[in-house]
Amino acid sequence: MSESAVSGWNRRDFFGGMALFALAIGVPVASVALSDLPDEEAPSERQRAMMREVSQLVVPKTATAGAGDVGVGDFVILALAHGLEGSRAPSAGAAAPPLARFRRPDGSLRQLHWLENELNQRGGGDFLARTPAERRMLLAAVDAEAFAEGAREHPWRTVKALILTGYYTSEVGASQELQYELVPGRWDPDLPLKRGDRAWSSDWTAVEFG
Amino acid sequence: MAEQQFDAIVVGSGITGGWAAKELTEAGLKVLMIERGRKIEHQVDYETETKAPWEMPFRGLGDAALYRRDHSVQMLNRHFNEFTEKHFVNDRENPYTVPPGGEFNWFRSYQLGGRSLTWGRHSYRWSDYDFGANKRDGFGTDWPIRYADVAPWYDKVEDFIGVSGAAEGLAQLPDGHFQPPMVLNVVEQAARERIAARWPGRILTPGRVANLTEEKEGRAKCQFRSICARGCSYGAYFSTQSSTLPAAMNTGRLTVITDAVVEAVDYDPATKRVTGVRYIDTHTKQRSRATSRLVFLNAGAFNSVHLLLNSASAAMPQGLGNSSGVLGTHIMDHASTLSGVALMPGFEAHTTFGNRPNGAIIVRFRNLDTLDGKGHTRGFSYQGGALQSGWSRGKREAGIGEAFKQELQSPGEWRLVFVAFAECLPRPGNRLTLNRSRTDANGLPVLDIALTYGKEERAALVDAKAEAAAMLTEAGGTVIMGFDEPGVAGSTIHEMGGARMGHDPKTSVLNRWSQAHDIANLFVTDGAQMSSSACQNPSLTYMALTARACDAAVKMLKEGAI
Repeated sequence: MSESAVSGWNRRDFFGGMALFALAIGVPVASVALSDLPDEEAPSERQRAMMREVSQLVVPKTATAGAGDVGVGDFVILALAHGLEGSRAPSAGAAAPPLARFRRPDGSLRQLHWLENELNQRGGGDFLARTPAERRMLLAAVDAEAFAEGAREHPWRTVKALILTGYYTSEVGASQELQYELVPGRWDPDLPLKRGDRAWSSDWTAVEFG
Repeated sequence: MAEQQFDAIVVGSGITGGWAAKELTEAGLKVLMIERGRKIEHQVDYETETKAPWEMPFRGLGDAALYRRDHSVQMLNRHFNEFTEKHFVNDRENPYTVPPGGEFNWFRSYQLGGRSLTWGRHSYRWSDYDFGANKRDGFGTDWPIRYADVAPWYDKVEDFIGVSGAAEGLAQLPDGHFQPPMVLNVVEQAARERIAARWPGRILTPGRVANLTEEKEGRAKCQFRSICARGCSYGAYFSTQSSTLPAAMNTGRLTVITDAVVEAVDYDPATKRVTGVRYIDTHTKQRSRATSRLVFLNAGAFNSVHLLLNSASAAMPQGLGNSSGVLGTHIMDHASTLSGVALMPGFEAHTTFGNRPNGAIIVRFRNLDTLDGKGHTRGFSYQGGALQSGWSRGKREAGIGEAFKQELQSPGEWRLVFVAFAECLPRPGNRLTLNRSRTDANGLPVLDIALTYGKEERAALVDAKAEAAAMLTEAGGTVIMGFDEPGVAGSTIHEMGGARMGHDPKTSVLNRWSQAHDIANLFVTDGAQMSSSACQNPSLTYMALTARACDAAVKMLKEGAI
């Protein structure tokens, strides 16, 4: 399996495809306005499909759309290329021997390539060819290891953080799954919180400090 | 081009520049205000104000690759993000240096309104514990003023800008003319009561902020969005644009020039007066000159000092107004750290609505009438508050799938956070100098910033951590972390000093009127004038001292003294 960008990739296709997709599900085009990625950061179609699926596994469709449904896969690819969530820090775990092969010349880790390889290896072949239940199990195992007691830097943590960011800052995630109000207009210092009450994605302090 | 003549020139348009422009124009003077950055028009130019995260290319987080290149320092500011990035400088284009092994985070906003657009808005009076601090323990030089000198000017400033807050009757944090406070949330209220029950002198109170809770002269009250640094079309927080600039413009006596950096203040050794300024158009690099009877420096503490150093002449080779040799020395910034975070069980059935652009503070309780600090003689206070966690907690949690999504749909647990601000001692070795080996885009030598904390600040933060843990525990919390190592200097964005006030022209740059000892028609009324740092936010004091200096300058002018 090739880990380099598939031939035939071009930015216009990527952007155009995303824009059409976004329009189809009612997401404003601005939300997926991708700045140019250098060729070495261009994902393969397979990687895009994988990131979409992985995003959907982390935040599946329930009463609201899932993360894959709203374009989070491509957001994560863009975010990784641009180093959001510290993903292009030279120290981002890339020095560890099993990860060394996924390093960029600047020392940072290509999380996308790592994840593709990791999931394929665990699945004994093409991750995307496994059944949905198997895919979920394989990813859950990666997640469990990344967040196990004593586990520290782990590339999955970075990818997961970006999936959550992508979802909860999308219009669906922010305003349907959660609630969004740009102009609250008042301050209520003490209200009852009932089971099932939805949080405010526009509570910037809560989001900033997690 | 004919020379432009004014009664007064104000260098800088931020928190104090706006005040100087307002006060001087209202007193009848014809004023030129020069701003190095671009024009930002109130309401019209707050481009991202109403954007949602999904309307932003990087969802509000911004392009980290771009930030590493162009905003390597500014990106460390809490208020810096994709919505606000245009309200902060490009670090690559605006270099400064630090000595080998040194660190300083210099957060800057070069634009009309300066940092008044991006400031934290906390507004506290200083007390005689603060103005008397240097005299009491012998660090630094004695302030030539006391609270009584500034109190009427605090009244004036608060009445004009609008400060919300709760009166507490404390000598160390005098009450002001407040609009109604932004009240404590349910967890903070409980903490206030529990802490006061154990330690009657420890007061947890809402932050006193320049955000309106009542309408005021064409400004609407706060809408509880807490996105202030994007710019606020409601005019609900004090900024030059929302407040002082319209007042100054209304007089018809203000001229504003933007995109122009002042390279030097001109000095006439024959009259011992400054005569005006020379400035460079930052785009065309064309040089111009303007003259005036008064010059007010309000470029921001370090930039005002920078300008004085750059204004050296044959008559004043060490820098303008620097016969004392102390120009640039005794710079300060509050030593700050995250003293404690605690989980707050028992409030699971409570939540809040609205984004309060403010938090809670714990007023200074150390080294008041008794010197009870352990290894330090000054004060510290805390800012922070209680908050419920949001979806981003999921970044730290195991789990994928429906149950995970379900869990993140509701607000998370409550936490109570205390961040300490410790008073920084004025030390001669902490200083600004010109780095002549490096010039900026306008050909001016860049500033070198040397500021390190000493054992006193470190002792205060050790004390603050221990007391934070004790108070968080008393408030019913479970402490999960706390630190006592100060953050990188500059991080508090309260950099000040460098042209300190003092009684003696031999050991200070400015007198009690923020007026240069050496030059009667030169005033420096931003943070550069500060002789000590106190532990509370300084901007309100800068504003009060600016209004006071303007009044004094106009009187002297009318009396023919200058």
